[in-house]
Amino acid sequence: MAEVTRERWGSRYFFLFAAMGSAIGLGNVWRFPYLTYEYGGGAFLIAWIIGLIIMGIPWMMMEFGMGRYFQRGAPGVFEGIGKKWEWLGWWPGWVAFLIVTYYTVVIAWSLRYAVSAASVAWGTGEAGATGAGSYFFGTILNLSSGPSALGGLQWPIVGALAFVWVALFFIMFKGAGVIGKVAVWTVTIPWALLVVLLIRGVTLPGAVDGLNYYLAPDFSQLSNVDLWFGAFSQIAFTLSLGMAGMFAYGSFIAKKADVTNNAFITSFSNCATSFFAGFAVFSIVGFIMQALSVPVEGVSASGLGLAFVTYPVAISMMPAMAALTGIIFFICLFFLGIDSAFFLTYGGVISPLMDKFGWSRAKVTAVVCVIAFAVGLIFTTGGGLYWLDIVDRTVSFYGLLITGALACIVVGWVYGAGKLREHINGTSDFRVGAWFDWLIKIVVPAGLLFVVIRGGFMNDIPDAYGGYQIGALNGSHIIWIILAVTLGFSFWLQAAKTKTLKGGE
Amino acid sequence: MTTAAIVTTVVMSLVFIGGLWFCFSQMGKGGKWED
Repeated sequence: MAEVTRERWGSRYFFLFAAMGSAIGLGNVWRFPYLTYEYGGGAFLIAWIIGLIIMGIPWMMMEFGMGRYFQRGAPGVFEGIGKKWEWLGWWPGWVAFLIVTYYTVVIAWSLRYAVSAASVAWGTGEAGATGAGSYFFGTILNLSSGPSALGGLQWPIVGALAFVWVALFFIMFKGAGVIGKVAVWTVTIPWALLVVLLIRGVTLPGAVDGLNYYLAPDFSQLSNVDLWFGAFSQIAFTLSLGMAGMFAYGSFIAKKADVTNNAFITSFSNCATSFFAGFAVFSIVGFIMQALSVPVEGVSASGLGLAFVTYPVAISMMPAMAALTGIIFFICLFFLGIDSAFFLTYGGVISPLMDKFGWSRAKVTAVVCVIAFAVGLIFTTGGGLYWLDIVDRTVSFYGLLITGALACIVVGWVYGAGKLREHINGTSDFRVGAWFDWLIKIVVPAGLLFVVIRGGFMNDIPDAYGGYQIGALNGSHIIWIILAVTLGFSFWLQAAKTKTLKGGE
Repeated sequence: MTTAAIVTTVVMSLVFIGGLWFCFSQMGKGGKWED
């Protein structure tokens, strides 16, 4: 067996930017603002902050802290707790791998749209506003009738996807030292672009109406269970936890360095970015409401619809700087996504494989990039959007939440939350009390299971997910199959011999 | 903007600015960062 010298970030700020970049992603722009509007503006923000404090930050401290303690990625951490738990580190690794296969396709769409925006290819004025949807679903995706009808590859998207993976390879193949330096740019550039988009948005007519919808508090909603579900689910999804990568990112921190403060800074920065992005989004929503004389309910303000239909509609209707605003918006999406992509790939997949098998970084990086690109091709077909939806539901919802809850339970009850707390407190900038133990042991897993049961099982067991039908299988069947197969592969990897020495103290 | 929306904006800004100010003021008080 070979001793491994653990790679390091090179600077605390490189680590912070890398962690912030992994957390700050497309969801900050296209999920958070909509949920805030949907669930009572300021009232939702109260629940969201509570969720951040009692669930998000402790969970992040756990992943950073365990990674730092064992100086290994997720599988190495759980192998360190006990060989029989190693699969629990591989399962979120599969989650990360599958997420990045379609996440990079969304980044590729952003690149494609950045080119299209230069000429506002979907049309200007009223024609563009009505044609933006058909441009996305028809011209760009060539959307088929369902997941069974894959159709052909969309070559412009394939080309953009190849570009994304080549870029990711060159960012990752030298490890954390380069990743941290790149992250400084991939975090600050979208921040700067969001400022530009915000200024452009609030100077448009009708923007204030959109902002009032975004922020006006409706405190009666605090008694609505859906508000708490929305707030806790957003916290679960926004911090890039439950995807194995934060264990690896934490393992690149030296053993005498801080954990707690880094988790607080990463979490607060991510959430502040979400809050800020909401102004850029809802000023545009207000503009569309006024320009097209439609109510707020008539404007798609979340998900792919926001990014690739609603925003292009706004660009079509802008009185000036339409093309420039479009280019800035889609380049912003590219940068928001790219650092989450190398986090998922490097922290979730490459680093654990290097830990386990002692393979060289460049070789593993090249192989993983090629395989992920190949798997991602399915999402560039005419039926790709349907498969993206199914796989996203499988891994980004069920996989993330289930593996996150199980990880907290095993760390809290088997390894010992108190032991982790003592380890973290020993070197961190400020100490946390015994309350941390109960959050990890009970509150975080309970919160995650609440989301997965209420938002998942209660819907997808009685009804087929998305109404999809693929041969004899429906959408829910596909979800359960993917979860079972990735779990099986996780046990298979656990059974393989570990070729490098364990970390730990 | 309505008064309620402005109050929400101010309160949330204070939460984030205050939180981050506290965190950055604590930096370096724990273990040594080794590169």
